[in-house]
Amino acid sequence: MLKPTSSEALLYFYNKLSKGSIFMQDEILSAQLARMNIYALVSRILMNEVDEELLELILNDENILSFFPNLQTWDKRQEMSTKDLIEQYLNVDFTNLFLLHLVPYESFYMREDQMMETGGENPVQQLYNEFDFRVELDRARVMAGDHIGVELEFMFKLCEAEYKALQDGAYDVAADIAKIEYEFLKDHLVEWAPLFLLNVKSEAGTALYFDAADLALEFILSDFEYLNQRKESDFKHLAPQESK
Amino acid sequence: MDIKDLNDLRSDFEALQKSESEACIEGCVTDEESYDDYPDYLAAIYTEVMPPVKSGVYFSRWDLKAMAAELDESFALDVRERMFKRFMQWVGTPEDMKLLVDEFKKNIDMKCDLYREYSEKYPSSKASFDAKITKAQNAKKYLDKVYVEFFT
Repeated sequence: MLKPTSSEALLYFYNKLSKGSIFMQDEILSAQLARMNIYALVSRILMNEVDEELLELILNDENILSFFPNLQTWDKRQEMSTKDLIEQYLNVDFTNLFLLHLVPYESFYMREDQMMETGGENPVQQLYNEFDFRVELDRARVMAGDHIGVELEFMFKLCEAEYKALQDGAYDVAADIAKIEYEFLKDHLVEWAPLFLLNVKSEAGTALYFDAADLALEFILSDFEYLNQRKESDFKHLAPQESK
Repeated sequence: MDIKDLNDLRSDFEALQKSESEACIEGCVTDEESYDDYPDYLAAIYTEVMPPVKSGVYFSRWDLKAMAAELDESFALDVRERMFKRFMQWVGTPEDMKLLVDEFKKNIDMKCDLYREYSEKYPSSKASFDAKITKAQNAKKYLDKVYVEFFT
């Protein structure tokens, strides 16, 4: 029986961000940094095959590993080297899930003809253009900008921009960026990613990809929950001077 | 080359670009594999139930294979549309169709149960999950309608 998540680790994180909490600047920044890191991590795992460096990072960092409860106890970890795990299990699973049998592109889920929009008319690509977010499809090795890994990376970039605005004390700018994050989740990731990720969970052949899908799904929904709460205050954090 | 030729060339190029930008991510079936030689209900189900945007549910290749396995039918993983057609070709009697419809409905119910779990846990996403559940219920009704219209 597979363990149901990462939820507990996420719950701890979001309790810190819960509505009504009074934050000091450092707490706001560290919470924002955590959001950035999780978006970066799930984006990377769902975009391409893992390499030894990434797998060792996950396995050797207690905090990151806490998001992967089934990977923690995966018996193959004790029996094989990282390289063999990747070559014999993880790459095979990635290929099955993301390249062969499931569809990680938003347009497939949103179009009645179940086709994928790879051109400039892709609504997600048009949105990226508005924000000058350039997707190097060949480097990312994806066919379109509405790949789940790219959409999560876009969220990472938005969170990073919000982090910089908070660092500079530009709270109105940070609130504007948080509003864009909210809208992107609402109109895109929350709409289609659960359909894809639930199938990844049910079809994953390895603990890593089961946990990664579970983490991505729980994180997208809990981050949307968090932003929805911030919506009530026009996405504004309390400025440090107000929180004193 | 005059302006008209240039305009024609541009239109041809734009049409080509448009067709190339719509990729068959699940693999394209060829013209020879169109629905012309199949009963109407097959195209109807493919058009009304299989698209996630219409039914609120994603039936993957593995879902199709697992549903078929429940009915002791087996086929190789292939282009999703082709797998769907193979599954439908298995239907030989009204009883077969009833069993097939029931398998689709079981898969839909299983996914709707998960949607309910997540919408309870994350209330801000409830509207999105509820919309999918409504579509899924409509898809189930549509399957029943197809069964009644074509098999009874």
